[in-house]
Amino acid sequence: MHSLKDYLRLYFMIETQYIKARMQYRADFIISSIGMFFSSLATLGIFWIIFHSIPDLAGWSFMQLLFIYGFYMIAISPMQILFDHIWQIRFHVQQGTFLKYYFRPLNMMFYYMSEMFDIKGLTQLAAGIVILIYASIQLDISWTLARIALLLLTLFSASLVQISITLLAGCAAFWVLDSYPVLGLAWKLREFAPYPMNIFDGAFRFTFTFIIPLGFVAFYPSQLFIQPEEVSAWVYLSPLVGIGLFALTYWVWTKGVNSYTGTGS
Amino acid sequence: MRAYFAMMRGAYMIGLVYRFGFLFNIAGNLIYMSVTYFLWRSIYQNRETLRGLTFNETYIYVALGSAVFILLKTYVDWQMSFDIREGNIATYLSKPVDLQLYELFTSLGFFLMSLSAITIPTIFLLIFVFRIEVPLGIGLAIFPFSLILAYLLSFCFDYFIGLLGFYTESVWGLSITKEIIITVLSGALIPLQFFPDAIQKILLWLPFQAIYYTPLTMVAQPDLGWGTFLPMLGVQLFWVIALFALTRLFYTQAVKVLRISGG
Repeated sequence: MHSLKDYLRLYFMIETQYIKARMQYRADFIISSIGMFFSSLATLGIFWIIFHSIPDLAGWSFMQLLFIYGFYMIAISPMQILFDHIWQIRFHVQQGTFLKYYFRPLNMMFYYMSEMFDIKGLTQLAAGIVILIYASIQLDISWTLARIALLLLTLFSASLVQISITLLAGCAAFWVLDSYPVLGLAWKLREFAPYPMNIFDGAFRFTFTFIIPLGFVAFYPSQLFIQPEEVSAWVYLSPLVGIGLFALTYWVWTKGVNSYTGTGS
Repeated sequence: MRAYFAMMRGAYMIGLVYRFGFLFNIAGNLIYMSVTYFLWRSIYQNRETLRGLTFNETYIYVALGSAVFILLKTYVDWQMSFDIREGNIATYLSKPVDLQLYELFTSLGFFLMSLSAITIPTIFLLIFVFRIEVPLGIGLAIFPFSLILAYLLSFCFDYFIGLLGFYTESVWGLSITKEIIITVLSGALIPLQFFPDAIQKILLWLPFQAIYYTPLTMVAQPDLGWGTFLPMLGVQLFWVIALFALTRLFYTQAVKVLRISGG
């Protein structure tokens, strides 16, 4: 077994090489970063346009939605930056190249995911941080040390929720071979995470809270900061949601990895 | 011409392989239509109209938008980028076919596939499950023509990005950027009426609105009359001709820099 420190050192080494290789295509990197930046702002653009016609959306002001949006952009970034290789899993599983990940004395999820480090996701992260800070100034949120600690904890948990939803969709590759449609659906659903959950009726709100817990990617944890007096006690449980969900995802991943038999060639 | 139809048929058959994907696509559309229903319901609250549109008109617009979205994605840019990387493009260029027409007809095969497997089922769901009343009017009759013109326009943009791939090799960034520009500026997600006035005026002068705003308006507000629809169709036709010609011209330049390794 390797220690966490070994893994960090190893990860750093792998990614430096990866980034060096990617930097050969500098123009592509710059255009991709710009594309990423704008595409992650598309839903926000729609909200901005809508607010030209209405004063509030289901009781939320534009600034409050902006805070939720900033939170959302930060929370989805670790998935984008660190786990982007999940999109390729169907090719590896179909073509049998996935077998190589069994032959290293490393954690397989670590080894597999370390093969990609999505640099352009950093622009999304940076934009999210700027938006979150701007919105929290406009909303007059007073930041104490405890609040900042809570923010970091909830962001950590929220990003685990996003990672878990996407990885679970990707893991479908172990059973149905082509997991692209499932991943595509998860990707589409992701866009709804910054929506105020109170616009939904019973069944949908229940689904987005308990079944596909998109609400925990941004909306619920944001409440702790934009209206802390009014949140229900269970929202404080949101850090546990992320950790629990990731544990489940890891279990499914292990099952999938153990059931994979290769292509025979 | 027969050769091109054979290509189209081939692409249609390839599309048939991905039946599993269609189910998820329809499921995705269904969820999207529900979410937008809730979203627009809370936007309208008890208001009769916003920006001159009723809730029903706006909802038909955005829901139909999601149904045709998959249709108007030709994937020609991704396909061409793949063919450049793999070297297949050299084979096409050595055959007595026109590259632009070749790409158009293969993508038409996928168009017919998505139309029958995704868009039409989605429209049925819209009418029978969501119980949306589509108002009748001449707009409805012109819609198919407008949609075809919209498709040709969308194709021109994708083909243009594909040709840029002759220079850059990878088109990921370009494709994503193009897609986001078209999605937002064409009114695919929200009717152009909702944009601030000054922006709206500019957008009407750009080709993007002819891809989504024009055909969707014909169904959402079908009784605007010939006086509105004919100029709209004219504008669409103008952009199709202009962009087809421009991309052809660009091809003669781009093909000079193409370097194929392997294949």
